[in-house]
Amino acid sequence: MTLAADPRAVFTHVQPAARRPPANRASKTVSSGTLLISTITLLALLALWFVATQLGWATPLFLPSPAEVLTQFQAVALDGYADGTLLQHTLASLGRILVALGIGVVLGVPIGLLMGLNRWVRGTLSVPIGLYWGLPPLAYLPLLIIWLGIGESSKIVLLSLSTFAPICFSAQAGVRSVPVERINAALSLGATRLQLFTNIILPSALPEILTGLRIAVAAGLSCLVAAELIAARSGLGYMIMSAANFLSTDVVFVGLILIAVLAFLFAIGMRWLERKLVPWKGKI
Amino acid sequence: MLQIRDASVTFPASDGSAVHALDHVSLDIAPDSIVVAVGASGCGKSTLLNAIAGFLPLTEGSITLDGEEIDRPGGDRGVVFQKDTLLPWASVVDNVALGLKFAGISRTVRRERARELLDLVGLVDFADKPPYELSGGMRQRVGLARALATDPKILLMDEPFGALDSLTRETMQQLLASVWARTGKQVLFITHSIEEALTLGTTVVVMSPRPGRIVARFKAGFVREFAETGDIGPILSNPHFIELREEIRALIHRPAGKGTLQ
Repeated sequence: MTLAADPRAVFTHVQPAARRPPANRASKTVSSGTLLISTITLLALLALWFVATQLGWATPLFLPSPAEVLTQFQAVALDGYADGTLLQHTLASLGRILVALGIGVVLGVPIGLLMGLNRWVRGTLSVPIGLYWGLPPLAYLPLLIIWLGIGESSKIVLLSLSTFAPICFSAQAGVRSVPVERINAALSLGATRLQLFTNIILPSALPEILTGLRIAVAAGLSCLVAAELIAARSGLGYMIMSAANFLSTDVVFVGLILIAVLAFLFAIGMRWLERKLVPWKGKI
Repeated sequence: MLQIRDASVTFPASDGSAVHALDHVSLDIAPDSIVVAVGASGCGKSTLLNAIAGFLPLTEGSITLDGEEIDRPGGDRGVVFQKDTLLPWASVVDNVALGLKFAGISRTVRRERARELLDLVGLVDFADKPPYELSGGMRQRVGLARALATDPKILLMDEPFGALDSLTRETMQQLLASVWARTGKQVLFITHSIEEALTLGTTVVVMSPRPGRIVARFKAGFVREFAETGDIGPILSNPHFIELREEIRALIHRPAGKGTLQ
């Protein structure tokens, strides 16, 4: 059934906006419909995986069966693999990315806001940040290892660099995108410069900052695993690399699935954060 | 009393020549009066308002409000914009109270005052809603209440009803007339509608473009009747109203000595 075919659906669109916005209801039904389709797709993929291994389309070395992966999951979770249990590896990875996101926000938001407000700061900092942000992070990881060694600090610095730039640039863009009428309105209501910043500019920039955070999460996750593959003694990336060295494909799968789940949880968290902090996004 | 003396604003155009957006304009806005500036696009009426609001510096001349020179935006001049500039993250009542917040007034007091103003514009039931759940006309009413909240000396209204449908527009004109009659604020109102200018203005100034200047001034008294009766019908068919309307229309469409607009 299309929306136009339902006279009530058409009617809700011409109702005064003072009521609950009709778009909300429409998008809710649409998203629950999408959720159903997505769930079916996920189940179909799992079924395909099961059938493919059951019928022997690929050897277990290339594609282990779901049952094997589940068994390995239990084994790794309880007995550990590559000097740590699954929980330890997961917490190591999670800790690194959370610390890096924290550093990215704590440094990136204020520096980005300053860049948006002041052209001297913008002119000075946009070149170095833009230059390193253009580099693939793994290209300068070897340099960081030479400088900082193979311990935690090189990985934390790498991840922080990858989360800092998108947060910083989006905070800057957020400041630059504040409508001039909104600023004029506040000034004619008697706002001081500080009040203008805290009451108008900062909240106006918040949606952009959260978009930057979303990009930072994605950039951080891909850097994290890659860095752990190259140089680490713990973490999901390290576990995958160790397992691959022994051709334990099932353990590789365990690691991959966990990273996927982690990324998915981050995405949900970001969406929750946006609903909580900027419920007005896209409304005005 | 707002006094504008020989105010000029000149912009550099993209081809390097100078655009005289406002050319030696002098105008007084007395307390208890609504001055409406009417004219075609580009006649400098919004430039005039922006200069009074302090958003735009004058190239020449001066603007004073009660003897004080205006050189920046300030709370003594309340502005109602054509585009609504409400803050989407704040409730309607907190939007109205924004100027009082800037003035350092406590939350309870400023909300109470904001509720009184929402009552004045008939929106007290929507106080706790976010602005994006309101219709365009309602948002402009919130904008008017917000501008009134700091009790400014003058209200500057830049085509505030220009984006509204004609029925909502009429309601808003009624509201403004009755608010003006009750508060006695001096108002500068910008519009491109001749009928709106005559309905709302105690003084109507006609402006013409290139360079932007005042070409004629008219006294009009229809707003008092409008504020009392709330009925626009008899005013629109008043012979004196029609006569003035046609005179202004002729002026706008054939500016003296400066070629035609078309």
